[in-house]
This record gives sequence, C-alpha cells and structure tokens, in this order.
Amino acid sequence: MERNVAQIAVFTALIAALGLIPQLTLAFGVPITAQSLGVMLCGTVLGARRGAIAALLFVGLVAIGLPLLSGGRGGLGQFMVPTSGFLIGFPVAAFVTGLVMERLRGLPVGWAAGIAAGIGGIVVLYAFGISGLAIALDRPVTEAALLVTAFLPGDGIKAVLAGLVTAALYRARPLSVMSRP
Amino acid sequence: MLGRNGSGKSTLARVIAGLQKPDSGRVRIAGVDVARDRRGALEAVGILFQNPDHQIIFPTVREELAFGLSQSGLTKPQVAQRVARTLAHFGKTDWADAAVHQLSQGQRQLVCLMAILAMQPEVIVLDEPFAGLDIPTAMHLTRVLDAAEAALVHITHDPRTVMGYDHALWIEAGAVVEQGAAPQVAQAYEAAMREVGARDDLADIAG
Amino acid sequence: MISLTSPVRTRAHGWPAGVKLAGLCLASVALFAVTDVWLMATVAGAVLLLYALPGRVFLRYGVRRLWPLWPFVAVIVLWHLATGAAQDGLLIALRMIAAVALANLVTMTTTLEAMMGVVRGLLRPLRRFGINLRAMELAVAMVIRFTPVLAQKGAALSLAWRARARRRPGWRVVVPLLVLALDDADHVAEALRARGGLRDVEGK
Repeated sequence: MERNVAQIAVFTALIAALGLIPQLTLAFGVPITAQSLGVMLCGTVLGARRGAIAALLFVGLVAIGLPLLSGGRGGLGQFMVPTSGFLIGFPVAAFVTGLVMERLRGLPVGWAAGIAAGIGGIVVLYAFGISGLAIALDRPVTEAALLVTAFLPGDGIKAVLAGLVTAALYRARPLSVMSRP
Repeated sequence: MLGRNGSGKSTLARVIAGLQKPDSGRVRIAGVDVARDRRGALEAVGILFQNPDHQIIFPTVREELAFGLSQSGLTKPQVAQRVARTLAHFGKTDWADAAVHQLSQGQRQLVCLMAILAMQPEVIVLDEPFAGLDIPTAMHLTRVLDAAEAALVHITHDPRTVMGYDHALWIEAGAVVEQGAAPQVAQAYEAAMREVGARDDLADIAG
Repeated sequence: MISLTSPVRTRAHGWPAGVKLAGLCLASVALFAVTDVWLMATVAGAVLLLYALPGRVFLRYGVRRLWPLWPFVAVIVLWHLATGAAQDGLLIALRMIAAVALANLVTMTTTLEAMMGVVRGLLRPLRRFGINLRAMELAVAMVIRFTPVLAQKGAALSLAWRARARRRPGWRVVVPLLVLALDDADHVAEALRARGGLRDVEGK
C-alpha cells in the first residue's frame, strides 16, 4: 500500500519535473516540453487506475497553488484560461492510456504503449482541450480544433516517445511496468 | 582540488569540462576553448561525476560505452571496435551485454570511467568519484586511473586522496586559498578543516 | 518548492479559504451572466482595483501573471472583428481576463495550508467510501519533496549527456530518470513502513 502511494506520488512529481527541465530536444531538433509525456507515462507504466490518480493529484496540486505546470505556472487561474481543458483532461487521458495499454497486452510493450499514448494522450486529451477552447473563445469546435493543429506533430512525436521510453523501461526493469503484470 | 562542500570546486569542475560558461575569461584545455568549441572539448576533456546513477543513460554496458563514440562521428564498425578494445583493456569483455542495474556501485562507476576513457580525452576531471565506495573498490579505481594516459584533475574534500598528485589547489568560497605541492597544501587544508570542525559549524544555513 | 501565495500580505490573506473559494465560484457564474460590454468593462476595472489596493508590487505581479493571455485576447478580438461582432469579442476577452484575474487573486491570497484544509474538509465525508486522508496528505508532501529532487536528477543526467555529446539531450535521458524515480518510491515506501505506515488514523 505504501509502495502504491509512493509510486503515484513519484509519478506526479515526475510530471512536474518534466515541466521544469529545460526543453528537451526530443526529436528532429524540435524543442518540445516533456510534461504531457509524463501524463502519457503515468498511463503506460502505472496502468489506468494508478496513472489516473497520479494525474489527478497533479491537477489538484496545481489547483491549490503549486507552480507545477511547465514554466512554473499554477493556481486556480489555470482553470479559467482557454487551455484549461487540457489540464482538466490530464487524469482522463492517463486513465484511457492505461486502459488501452492493459487491453493491448498481446502486443509488444513499445507498440502497445505508443498506441495507448496516442489514444489517451492525444485523442482524448485533445477532445477535452478543444472543447475547453471552444467554450472559452466562444467559437465552434471546428475552429478551435484548427487552433491546436500546430501542436499535433509535437504531441504525435511524444506518443511515439512514450512507446520507446516504456519499452526501454520494460527491457531494463520488466517488473516496474505495472500495466504489464 | 581540495575544498569543502559548497566551496565552488564542483562548479570549477564543470567549467573545466566546458559544461558551464565562465562569467568572464576563457578556459583552454589542451588548446581548446572548452565552453565555445564543444566538439573539440569532447575530445579534450572527460568528466566523471560522483554518482554513477546520475550519469549512466543506457541499460547495457555496451550501449553506455558506445554513446559518446557514436556522438563524436565514428562509424558503427569503428564504435564497436573501440568499445571492444576498451572492455578488453580492462579485462571486462564479458561485461559487454551486462545490464547496468545488476552491477554494484563500484562496478557502475567503472562503467562510467570506461565510457570516458573510450573517448580518449587528454584530461579527465573527477568530481568526487569515490564517494560512497568501499576501500578496496576505491583502491581499484585509483589504480585504473593511475594507468590511464590522461591528465587527471581530481576534485575532492578528502586530503588523503591528493597525495599522489603533482599539484594541489585549496578552494574556498570560489577562490584559491593556497596552491602548490600536494603534501603541503593537503596538510594546511587538513589543519584548517580540523580547526573549523572543532567549532560548531552546522549552526548556519547557507544563504 | 515555493507556492504561488503572494508574500505581500493583504487583508484577504486572513479570510477563510472556503469562503474565498465559494465567492470565486459565485463570481465566475455571475461573470457569465453579464452581457453588456460596458458593465463587463467596469467589472474588469474593479478587479484591477482589487489588485492595486495592496500596493505596486502586488499589482505588478498580478498583471504579469495575466500577460500570457494576450495571444487569446488577440485571437478573440481579431476573429470577432472579422465577423463584424467586435463588441461580443470585447465582452468575451474582458470576461476571460476578469475570470482569470479573480481566480489568481484567490491563489495569491491563500496559503497552501489553508487550501489543504478546504480539501480535507471536502474529502472527509468521503472516507466512508474508502478515501484514506492520511495517505493523501502524505502523497502531497511526497510530491513537494520529490519534484525538485527529480528535476535535479534530470538536470544531472542532461549534464552527463552533454559531457559526451554535442546535441542536446534526447528522449533517452527520460529512461534512467524514470528508473531513479521508481527507486526513490521504493525507498520512501520502506521509510514509511518503518515509521508506522499509511493507516488512516484520523480520530473519529
């Protein structure tokens, strides 16, 4: 039980830490913030339930005033900005990522994780984010979707990386990938 | 380089390795401006940090040794050859496919050292590399370092480890307090540290 | 890790967090009921006044935290100008700024402790459903403890990368960080168990 709570807390800290590390050049020289990669990893490594709790803890801590979002942002104001949909979607994204990961146990870890991260970390997360944008900017969903297309390639790369990182972790420490008992 | 924790010696280590730009002035190692010419710096200086867990990036020994080499532009066959040669030099050819997390602390530190030596730098900076290692392991690594062809810059807070060195500097609060022959500087440093230790030192929080 | 509470003390710092949060909810709902641009402009001005009351430092900090909204303001205004609904655009932009400003105000005048108190109060009735409050409090403490530690380890790994490669750190640097994080979790779990564990011991 203590191990569960500690692992959840450490993954929450990881999401925050990935936002603090100066932009990693993750691929093709494109500098992107690694924070949403952390959310994807919550799902691929911890599984649906624990991953969602870790992401929910992250959102809760941002709400009570900790500067955990990349760039040191935080506080209740983050729930009023047009991009708040993405933040609110973190726990759901982690949950779906974990769910898909658990369902795809027939596939090799890297592929399962990459697909799970794509479905949870992009499709679901963007659904929340775009809805939030549409409401905040008072525009139809299609126009809001247009606004975020620029970020899709970067996040697409992140989903692939989630697959690679999870696969590498599985090779190094198979027991630590909870979604694959 | 002798100094207390917080004296600035780790910062100096990073500046020598070119990982941190000096506020003013230039640092040249083997003729290379290490902060500006990173490519040349990689061939001139290697740096070994205190904690191997904060240095080793790859899960197997072979991949860890190959990393710096493939980054410096060698072809894959050349990299493989260099890795094999380095492992053989240390008699650790059977470590090639070993998983890093199954190695002990001392063994991991050796992997870090091999990864640096594979790049054949002219100077190796050692940032307190023996912290947490037991005596036999520290002795073993010291022998390995002595046999290396590079010039060694050893950062430490322990005066006993500097005895075999040609020159020693005593760093305090970012400045050089004394420098000269190692035994003399070590003696002066130790005397001063013992005097500080006799007083209540932990009372002040830094800053 | 520093929280976002402002060191500049205001009278609001002393008000109960629950009251402030409830007030924020009401105010946010009320904001969405305002349909007149001039009324909204007045409201926004009033919010700005609230920021100005505790002094220049507070005001400057507050305005700085609103600055990242400018791309959204631009998008809103331009879009609505293009469709001939400039007044609507202004209304929406002002509303957004006012809502964010009010929420930030609550964050700036409420300590972490006070917020945790509200969370505790809200979650207490849920204990019958299995929510372990002590575990939650310790989890919060652990996150605050570990975020800077992991950030430092990430920085150390990035440094070790840069010591051997010219390109900036790639994705591979995340893997050993993950391993270190999981190891830290194991160590803390062990320490917790040695000191009593996570049984929910909040007195009945």
